Amino acid sequence: MAHLVLDLPPSSLAARRRSSPALLAALPLLVFLLCFFVGPIAGLLKEGFVSDGALSLANYRHLIDTPIYRIVLGNTFTIAFFVTLSCIVMSYPLAYLMATVSQNVSRLLFFAVLLPFWASALVRTSAWIALLGKNGPLNTLLTSIGVLDQPMAFLYNFTGVMIGMTHVLMPFVVLPLYASFRAMDNTLVQAAQSLGAGSVGIFNNVVLPLTSPGVVAGGIIVFMNAVGYYITPSLMGGPAQRMVAELISYNISEELNWGLAAALAGVLLVTVLASLWTFNRLFGLDQLISGSSGKGASAAPARRTPGGRVSVVLGVACAIFLLLPIIVVVPMSFGTSDFPIFPPPQYGLRWYTSFFDDGKWMGALFSSLRVGVLVTVLATLLGTLAALGVHKMQSERKSWLDALFIVPMSVPAIITAVSLFYLMAPLGLVANSVAVVIGHTVLASPYVYITVRAALRSFDPALELAALSLGASWPEMFRLVMLPALMPSLVGGAVFAFVTSFDDVVMALFLTSIRNRTLPKLMYEGLAHDFDPTVISASCVLIGATVLILLSNMLLEQRKGAL
Amino acid sequence: MKSRLQKLGCVVALAAAVAGGAQAAELNFASWGGAYQGAIRDAWLKPFAKETGIKITEDTDPQVAKIKAMIDTKSVAWDVVTENSARLTRGIKLGVFEKITADMVDQKHVIPGARNEYGVPSEIFSTLIGFSTKSFPAGKAQPSTFADFWDVAKFPGKRTLQDDPATVIESALIADGVAPGDVYKVLSTPAGIDRAMKQIEKIKPHVAMWWKNGAEPVNALGSGEVVMALGWNGRFQAGIDSGLPIQMGWGNTVAQVGYFVLVKGAPHREEALKLMNYMISPKNQAEFSKYIAYGPTTEAAFPLIDEARKHRLPSTPERMKSALFLDSEFWEKNGPAIVERYNQIRAR
Repeated sequence: MAHLVLDLPPSSLAARRRSSPALLAALPLLVFLLCFFVGPIAGLLKEGFVSDGALSLANYRHLIDTPIYRIVLGNTFTIAFFVTLSCIVMSYPLAYLMATVSQNVSRLLFFAVLLPFWASALVRTSAWIALLGKNGPLNTLLTSIGVLDQPMAFLYNFTGVMIGMTHVLMPFVVLPLYASFRAMDNTLVQAAQSLGAGSVGIFNNVVLPLTSPGVVAGGIIVFMNAVGYYITPSLMGGPAQRMVAELISYNISEELNWGLAAALAGVLLVTVLASLWTFNRLFGLDQLISGSSGKGASAAPARRTPGGRVSVVLGVACAIFLLLPIIVVVPMSFGTSDFPIFPPPQYGLRWYTSFFDDGKWMGALFSSLRVGVLVTVLATLLGTLAALGVHKMQSERKSWLDALFIVPMSVPAIITAVSLFYLMAPLGLVANSVAVVIGHTVLASPYVYITVRAALRSFDPALELAALSLGASWPEMFRLVMLPALMPSLVGGAVFAFVTSFDDVVMALFLTSIRNRTLPKLMYEGLAHDFDPTVISASCVLIGATVLILLSNMLLEQRKGAL
Repeated sequence: MKSRLQKLGCVVALAAAVAGGAQAAELNFASWGGAYQGAIRDAWLKPFAKETGIKITEDTDPQVAKIKAMIDTKSVAWDVVTENSARLTRGIKLGVFEKITADMVDQKHVIPGARNEYGVPSEIFSTLIGFSTKSFPAGKAQPSTFADFWDVAKFPGKRTLQDDPATVIESALIADGVAPGDVYKVLSTPAGIDRAMKQIEKIKPHVAMWWKNGAEPVNALGSGEVVMALGWNGRFQAGIDSGLPIQMGWGNTVAQVGYFVLVKGAPHREEALKLMNYMISPKNQAEFSKYIAYGPTTEAAFPLIDEARKHRLPSTPERMKSALFLDSEFWEKNGPAIVERYNQIRAR
């Protein structure tokens, strides 16, 4: 910025004038998070230092003295680390494939990535369990073609947790990585090829440096999410894969041991903040949120190298991995048994009737949609404003704000949920969905913030200056120049926000009541204590709706193209 | 417009309830979902609503922590909830349930071992062995006792046990030769706990999964993931009834009681008591096992149950003789420490 100021003195004035509006823009999210995130959580953490009504370190000492808590903390970070790694490794070939095929095939692949997002994480987990069981289809296949001598245990161990969590979290890396690939200048690859670089050389020296910002951003989202996970590992793992969020939840809802839960939450929070701080020192938090800095894709793809061809095969395999549970869920939903059997011995519409006939399912669906839309609007507004504000800010404290705006998604939802419950229930805000909308907005706004902030970083400031110097007012410039450039990221962030709200179970468990419960909460109730197959048909209805929307969108675009 | 009116209606009803006199004949009931709540609905809630005109709204997951939070924040939404004895004990300690006196609900006819001052016992269920008849078919040796569950030489194959130690620890000691009547005496000493934990370590390599909800062991037996499970008789029975190759071994059982409980500050107290009285009458007690294989809490119900159905139930007089009743006081006192150890030895 410094030399820009020297070159263009008038714009520096403009910049200074804008620095107070910049602060104002970041203010709403700041205040929102202080009231509904920092405040309540500080209240909860305080509990960790109270024992028998007096200030003490007894809870923390208990954590240190009891081996199980060290084991579980170790598990948590090991699992989160490996899940992040496997998400990144599997995303590369898939994102590469998506970015280098024809538009129609690319759309289809997008479909494969987004579709699982719409099937509740709970349902995907049940599908994996049916698929990976000792006598499940995968083991049957592998033993019958002679790959395995006897069935392998994919479930209730580390493998199970890796499969389940990678599947749920992979889209968070694929999407930013895809954007990086699209933005990559293919002439660079061609140049490297003509200079004799092999596949490995091209990957290491061209692809990796150009895509690393996207990957780091996606990876950190995955890591922070993974650290606070517990439903998938608890269903697909064993006692050796127990994660800390499960113990927090257990201590709050079963043992009512708030002190211990708060101490565990404290340790988790400190570790998350520490890893964020380390990232900041190593890359700079700015680097994490930096977007892809390419010129925009040239339409003609580079000739595929041998490595590229291998990547294509791997990419197809990863797409199949993402779609597999969905493929299994559809026939399962037409079963008639009370138990999840694949393939079902008998087909019928029993569980669809149960979904459409029972008012509670339709009510929950409607409630979920309403909450989701409100959260999307609110989070997009707050997140975008804050990203604009922080982007324009000059001060060093910028990275503090970055950290604050990102952290809510890495705090296990149960902590935020319980803190908010004690704040909102007395005000009667649980019964009318205000509480759950606020809670989801806390969870979702970081996604919007990160994506928009990344887009702003890759936005060429010269364009803004050009528009302003040609006499456009700032709002005009924003509408005509900046907004169109931000649009894809904004939409991406909004989709993440909607999905976050639409798929959340934990917040809904605490922040909704019997009259306004959301669909995932109802699904959780159907799976937590029993197995209600209506859950599967419900998610098939959602998948069906998504397919219809995406298909009609595709057809419309094609028509437009034909005309 | 209609929805706004409805909302207004809710607010008014709530205000009226808070003011003391709930006029709308309504009742909020919360239980644990699935086949269990389905049976409660069919056996009791539906006929009760029809008979009295009281409209019942159902919810699930009545965690004691949630009830405590509702009371703390003066937002009690539930009237009647169902709890097992461990949760009931915890709730009593926290003061979230109302005492049920004889003039509120008459319980003279209830099995003495099941009675509790703060709840009306709704059913008796048992933890026992379920096994796959594909692995252990009729005509060959079939497991029946907890010792058989631990005997991997005689009955080879993977097993599943509950992720929560209550009932598992008891079974482990019985399998190790402790008489059911002495289990809690042994468990009251550190050496007794060590002995139980050793049993867990012994069986651990043969446990394919540690189940968290009652449907899981049934699914795992059905899919062949395991050959033997320690689970709840009603859930196994549901699997058997839907054609899964499962059989139960009644040699040893740990019995637990389910309770209907009145939440402190319940907005529809009167209706709640009406439902409890309805549920505990011998005639209606005999109805429940038509829908799920859990037994009545009063012997007066047995004459109304036919022989075929009696065979499925855990609370017949002869089965009660060999059963160990879960000691909720013991778990309330020692639960957290045992859970920590149980988690630790399985995490390695």
